Amino acid sequence: MTRAFETVIGLEVHVQLATETKLFCSCPTSYIGKEPNSMVCPVCLGLPGTLPSLNGRAVELGITAALAMGCSINRNSRFHRKNYFYPDLPKAFQISQYDLPLAVCGSIPIFIGGRKKIIGITRLHLEEDAGKLVHGSSDGRLSGTSFSLVDYNRAGIPLAEIVSEPDLSSPEEAREYVLAIRRLVRYLGVSDGDMESGSLRVDANISQKCTDGRWGNRVEIKNLNSVRAMERALEHETVRQRDILSGGGAVKQETRHWDDVAGSTRPTRGKEEAHDYRYFPEPDLPAIVVCDPMVRRLEEGIPELPWAKRERFEMEWGLDPMDSTALSERLDVAEFLEGVVAAGADSGISANWVRTDIMRILKETGLKADELPFTPEALGDLLVKISKGVLSNTAAKDVLEQMYRKGLDVAAAMNAAGVDPGGISEGTLEGVIRKVLEANPVEAGLILSGEDPSGKKKKFLQGLVMREIRGQSPVQDVASMMDKVMGEMKKPNGSSV
Amino acid sequence: MKFDGLDASQTASAVAKGELSAVDVVTASLQRIKRLEPQLNALITVMEHEALERAALVDLKVASGGDPGPLAGVPVIVKDNMCTHGVRTSCGSRMLEKWVPPYDASVVGYLQCAGAVIIGKSNMDEFAMGSSTEHSAFGPTSNPIDTSRVPGGSSGGSAASVAAGYVPLALGSDTGGSIRQPAAFCGVHGLKPTYGLVSRWGLVAFASSLDQIGPFARSVADIALAMDVIAVPDPRDPTCSRGERPSFRNLAESPDLKGMRIGVVREFLGDSLHPDLRQAISEAESFLASSGCGIVDISLADSASFGLPCYYIIAPAEASSNLARFDGVRYGHREDAENLVCQYTRTRATGFGEEVKRRILTGTFALSSGYYDAYYLTALKARKKISDEFERAFSSADIILMPATPSLPFRKGELMDDPISMYMSDVFTLPVNLAGLPGMTVYAGLNAEGLPLSVQIVAPRWEDSRLINCAAVLEQHFGRPSSAMGGVY
Ligand SMILES: [Zn+2]
Repeated sequence: MTRAFETVIGLEVHVQLATETKLFCSCPTSYIGKEPNSMVCPVCLGLPGTLPSLNGRAVELGITAALAMGCSINRNSRFHRKNYFYPDLPKAFQISQYDLPLAVCGSIPIFIGGRKKIIGITRLHLEEDAGKLVHGSSDGRLSGTSFSLVDYNRAGIPLAEIVSEPDLSSPEEAREYVLAIRRLVRYLGVSDGDMESGSLRVDANISQKCTDGRWGNRVEIKNLNSVRAMERALEHETVRQRDILSGGGAVKQETRHWDDVAGSTRPTRGKEEAHDYRYFPEPDLPAIVVCDPMVRRLEEGIPELPWAKRERFEMEWGLDPMDSTALSERLDVAEFLEGVVAAGADSGISANWVRTDIMRILKETGLKADELPFTPEALGDLLVKISKGVLSNTAAKDVLEQMYRKGLDVAAAMNAAGVDPGGISEGTLEGVIRKVLEANPVEAGLILSGEDPSGKKKKFLQGLVMREIRGQSPVQDVASMMDKVMGEMKKPNGSSV
Repeated sequence: MKFDGLDASQTASAVAKGELSAVDVVTASLQRIKRLEPQLNALITVMEHEALERAALVDLKVASGGDPGPLAGVPVIVKDNMCTHGVRTSCGSRMLEKWVPPYDASVVGYLQCAGAVIIGKSNMDEFAMGSSTEHSAFGPTSNPIDTSRVPGGSSGGSAASVAAGYVPLALGSDTGGSIRQPAAFCGVHGLKPTYGLVSRWGLVAFASSLDQIGPFARSVADIALAMDVIAVPDPRDPTCSRGERPSFRNLAESPDLKGMRIGVVREFLGDSLHPDLRQAISEAESFLASSGCGIVDISLADSASFGLPCYYIIAPAEASSNLARFDGVRYGHREDAENLVCQYTRTRATGFGEEVKRRILTGTFALSSGYYDAYYLTALKARKKISDEFERAFSSADIILMPATPSLPFRKGELMDDPISMYMSDVFTLPVNLAGLPGMTVYAGLNAEGLPLSVQIVAPRWEDSRLINCAAVLEQHFGRPSSAMGGVY
């Protein structure tokens, strides 16, 4: 008996909001690499008598992300307490949102094989992070450990939880979705979206829908520490669930833990999931009231979104999807490219340069495009010079190198690169050509006697000339000057070869 | 000049003028505490060293010509659920028996800025849960008027300290009557301000939506003076109003109730009310009428029917969450055990007393899935009804007059095995917390046995000044409480 299945996936993505201070106290958020428990205060340690004070910036960042996904913003939302005991949770409750989240009902497009798919966003809510436990046992788990250490530096870090509709139908779509969320939050400056450091975390819900209309139970997968791990876990889980269902079994509704080394999921311990969180409204915090002027102000600050840029790069500039995707990945790069084109450079050449040379420099230096020592306008000028034939590609690359290494402007960089800003004079060019022809009499002779029908010898000589003049004349100028010089050579009164 | 019988404002002005030294005042207060504590057990911690040091600073300031503040040199006692930097804050619990906070409650800071000298931390029912100060890990407090009786609770230590003349002024916290009921039992004034008027920062939470700090004193003027000092906006408490506060002191000096409508709650004056307390209400009513007030009858039927059950769902529910942090991981009492769950359960089983455990269990149950709607949500609806009812009442009355407690101070041990009767002693006070209103217990003389009588007055939200005004008028009739046991203050 064979049955066909459809995979149904919904994701919960937690992003760490890029605030200076924690969600409810003024401790700094830059806890990575810091001494354990060095970035804590009575509030985030949950000491008796302390009260939370909401960080308004976190609310703004949450609203910004929600607006970018077309969510509707609740004008009155509130915090709830999620109660459970765990040593990393200082108050034994997490301040989170429950029935009235900050925003609901949005969407985000993803692109699969050039096809666009809209993924629904159920809600976005704010919550505080917990601390971190380090267990003393050999396998790093809590059970059987003789002691555990706890670091509260992360406790109270602001998170936005973005919950998707179960609109994703494959691990690949899930990957594209996570990348789209990451790209978006980075565009907006809402989060650094770094999965490795835990600024972006994903929990996945996955189930199988059978063509006969029956559904398998939903399984939640945790411990997905990279996009790759998530994809592998979802692939593994798809197979596992389909095997169970095909064999006539039932998928157990449960939370499973992804083991990246074993490459499989296993159930989390029953006790850990049998939680009744006893949610109730947080009495220490008034409702979050969002007014229209605030929404308008935040809306105005939202840049053109990555998917819109991508489409515009294709429609307006004719970039292929590979280029448009790569060039819209980062806001700094996309805006740099736009600056280059705005300076008058050809969009195709600009895209090519930004994708190769600029991306290489950014990778080497770790800089953002707006931190480069030269402006997009400067690169635009340079590329215009190529189009006008004032500079060859090769020479322009030397000039760019000078601009980036020494922070010079275009003119100074051209000087430093030994490139004549005015190009090569006709006289100089003619002199160089004559020198090259004299140094290569065999080739010159063959051309003059008409024995170079394919033009290969001519190209070779032109190449030598270009090298000699460091590419400071357009190749067509070199060709016409060479024709002129050789024409003169053919004349009886010309100098003999 | 001698300070016997001076109130807080008189003491402060004498200290500021250099007629009295703050160190002498504090020393006299400490001597009295030493003499009477064996009988009363009103304090958990006496801050002798810190108090003398601070008093010396006040004297130094006076000597150098600086402004020592409106409470210069006035010894003050705060309930032991208000954090004091470097001084143990136990909440009357074994759980925090040795816990020393690294910060001050806002009110503690405000008092000190005003020149007050915190001289001790008062005994209380554990985590403010109780009405007799018998539920304390540090032993029960006795009522200074009759040491065989309870001082009320949960702020019984603060009420007893003022009644016994340790200090002219003390702070308590009131979640369902924990200032007003002990004030009534000890024969002093006690004010529970509007929810959000006084900062809760540094007050160890019992039920966050109900808790409010307020003063005990033996004169309305001192209540007003304390309010001027502690009722200030505080950004550290998001539920604390940013709005402006009136000068309470000015109101207390020249009270005027002409044209005020006093609403009397007839259904609270039935047989369950002690006849002497009924008599106090009718005396207050006649005096207010003769002072130019109109008297109207009002009904608080919803408060009477739903108040107690509503409170005993909401307060324990919030408490179950607020007290969950006492798990032995970071601070406080801990019982080491073979694993985490055992550590949690043993720590909490041995660290908390019976009443606290009873309320944590009740609250946990009320919030549990499957019961939330039937209990917590229903209680929230009842709370709304009670608020609405008060609002309606305030359309025909400006101030409500009602009893503070149904009974006179009961004997120690009398209700320890009967939690429901114990809960009943807050039946008139807790609806006021549920509605977030200001309420005040005003001393109304002594009965034939020498036990203190009282009335409660309640005003609309943010109209705390109206209570000061009314209490000052009532004080003209009933007189000021005198300190029991021949106190210094
Ligand atoms: Zn902090």
